[in-house]
Amino acid sequence: MTPPSRTPETLDEARSRADTEDAAARRRARRAALVHYLGMPVVLAGVLLALYLYVGGQELDSIEARTLTADNLIGQTRQHIVLTVYSTFFVLLLAIPMGIVATRPATRRFAPAIIGLGNAGQAIPSLGMLALLFYVFRTTPGLPSTGTVPVVVSLVGYSFLPILRNTMVGLDQVDRFVLEAGRGMGMSNGLVLRRLELPLAVPVILAGVRTALVLNVGTATLAFLFGGGGLGQTIFSGFQLRRTPVLLTGAVLVAVLALLVDYLAGLIEEKLSPKGL
Amino acid sequence: MTDRANADTAVSPAAAEGTGSSVMIDLIELTKRFPGTQDPAVDRLTLQIPRGEIVVFVGPSGCGKTTSLKMINRIIEPTSGSIVIDGEDVTTIDPNRLRRRIGYVIQQIGLFPHVTIEENVATVPKLLGWDRDRIHARVDELLDVVGLDPEIYRQRYPKELSGGQRQRVGVARALAADPPVLLMDEPFGAIDPITRTRLQNEFLRLQAELQKTIAFVTHDIDEAIKMGDRIAILREHSHIAQFATPEEILTQPANEFVEDFVGTGATLKRLKLSRVREVDYTTDALTGRIDEPREVLRRRLHESEWTAILLLDADGRPQRWLRGPDFLHDRPVTQLGLPARAFVEGHATLSDALEEMLLGSAGVAIVVDNRGSYLGILDIDDIITSIQTMRDADAEFHRAAKLVDPLDEVAE
Repeated sequence: MTPPSRTPETLDEARSRADTEDAAARRRARRAALVHYLGMPVVLAGVLLALYLYVGGQELDSIEARTLTADNLIGQTRQHIVLTVYSTFFVLLLAIPMGIVATRPATRRFAPAIIGLGNAGQAIPSLGMLALLFYVFRTTPGLPSTGTVPVVVSLVGYSFLPILRNTMVGLDQVDRFVLEAGRGMGMSNGLVLRRLELPLAVPVILAGVRTALVLNVGTATLAFLFGGGGLGQTIFSGFQLRRTPVLLTGAVLVAVLALLVDYLAGLIEEKLSPKGL
Repeated sequence: MTDRANADTAVSPAAAEGTGSSVMIDLIELTKRFPGTQDPAVDRLTLQIPRGEIVVFVGPSGCGKTTSLKMINRIIEPTSGSIVIDGEDVTTIDPNRLRRRIGYVIQQIGLFPHVTIEENVATVPKLLGWDRDRIHARVDELLDVVGLDPEIYRQRYPKELSGGQRQRVGVARALAADPPVLLMDEPFGAIDPITRTRLQNEFLRLQAELQKTIAFVTHDIDEAIKMGDRIAILREHSHIAQFATPEEILTQPANEFVEDFVGTGATLKRLKLSRVREVDYTTDALTGRIDEPREVLRRRLHESEWTAILLLDADGRPQRWLRGPDFLHDRPVTQLGLPARAFVEGHATLSDALEEMLLGSAGVAIVVDNRGSYLGILDIDDIITSIQTMRDADAEFHRAAKLVDPLDEVAE
């Protein structure tokens, strides 16, 4: 099929053949993605169903019955989601602009400091970070000592690094000749950033956002320790009271939530990534 | 030589339409010193690029030719010196405004991978605030100009195109807002040799129509000779070793550096600059009509000093070469002798003609017009004579140059 010696003209043909093979590969990939994206909700629904059947099949004592009410679980799930969404929103608001600042020629010198900040945020164990912030909030007059606010602040600190790092990497990996062509045609620095750098960095930035979201779902299980609520409450009750159905319900719900968030973020990633890349 | 001279005079009317000056780009004492380096990358480069011409910057790598080019649109800001374009000093104006007036083509092309071919080409018109219909029409026109069918390619993404096609889009994008000036940094450098030759030829044809003022960087002296109306051979720090027409560079290298850079085979390169129609080729070769009686043809050949007769068809297109012994065979005339081969047209270069001759078996090339009708015969001796004439003319020029100041065509 492949001729032993290729003249440049057959190279062109080879390219177009590669293109059609590419197209076939893309179709296959799309079908695979479809299976993947339909598969995940189905699996998660199956897990929830199994959990329901398992708990329903158990003889629940009074403690278990009191903990595992629909109201309780739905309320905690909602709190969990609220914490995750808030913290992700604020961390995006902070980390992406910081990532942009850290990659501009004029302000690039701040990059080590910004990365250091992000590193500290992630290096401190999440429980330690929550405890520290809880302490700071309680001793600072005017700040709420418990509840959503300190937890969200802590989650922001914890998920700052992945988004910052991915923003910086995403911006730095953009082909410099694409940028040179843009500048050479008279695009201002702002336009180059908005029209070229950010759109081309979107896939990498979104990968960071996805990581941050999943991290936040996990870390938010600690929120109940500081009055932030969330599914951690159920897990820890089950643990402390040695009630396996309660422990299992909390743990499975958190796991399903994390996977669901990852799945949704994946959909968004695919939707927002520019075509042609 | 005469060909180039004609090209120069053809430029003058266009020049008269502009601001009046024949100089489009005027680089004055342009210097670039990169931070942390002792020597300047470009040291007081002073050069004038005439309106409507292609000036090629050529030189060994690291000589500063790309830096020099990129200072014209201030992608690299000059440390000192000034740039005057079309009479306006643009050294300190808003660089973005400047760049929208200058087409820019780079070797890596730099197409925007996340937008379609149409949006790529529309970049500068959009920046200039053209309305949608005008942009759409312009994109279609330009894709057509560079040989890409708009219907097929408008909505494609860069990665779906081959390297040659991408570079065509790169050229279309640079021409989008019809800038008077183009900067091209090794535009055909990353393309396979056959596609490169095709793109070079197409670009020269396009340039004959558009008459843009072009600064063109390459490291390939053959490309410089082919593309340039003038060539600036640069050595370290962008010092000009010679700034002259390709003919002069080849026949009168100003110094040893130029001689070395042009390399051996300067004579062969010169053959690329002379065209068949400029040569005194034979027009009275022995011919006959293919439908003439065999005996008439035989007698004509026999009575002449020629060793072969060229048979033409009713439209004058060469068909077959017949030698004396061929008539001994008892076959129709159309099957005797050898098929005529090695056709060249008047605009072909002597280099092309020589190649045809060497490939064809007859040792001559048949000169035809654009419809393929016979005009004459180009012999290898004609080419040798032509080379000899070039040498004599050069010697003549050298003697003249010693008596009077050399005619500085650029500074006029």
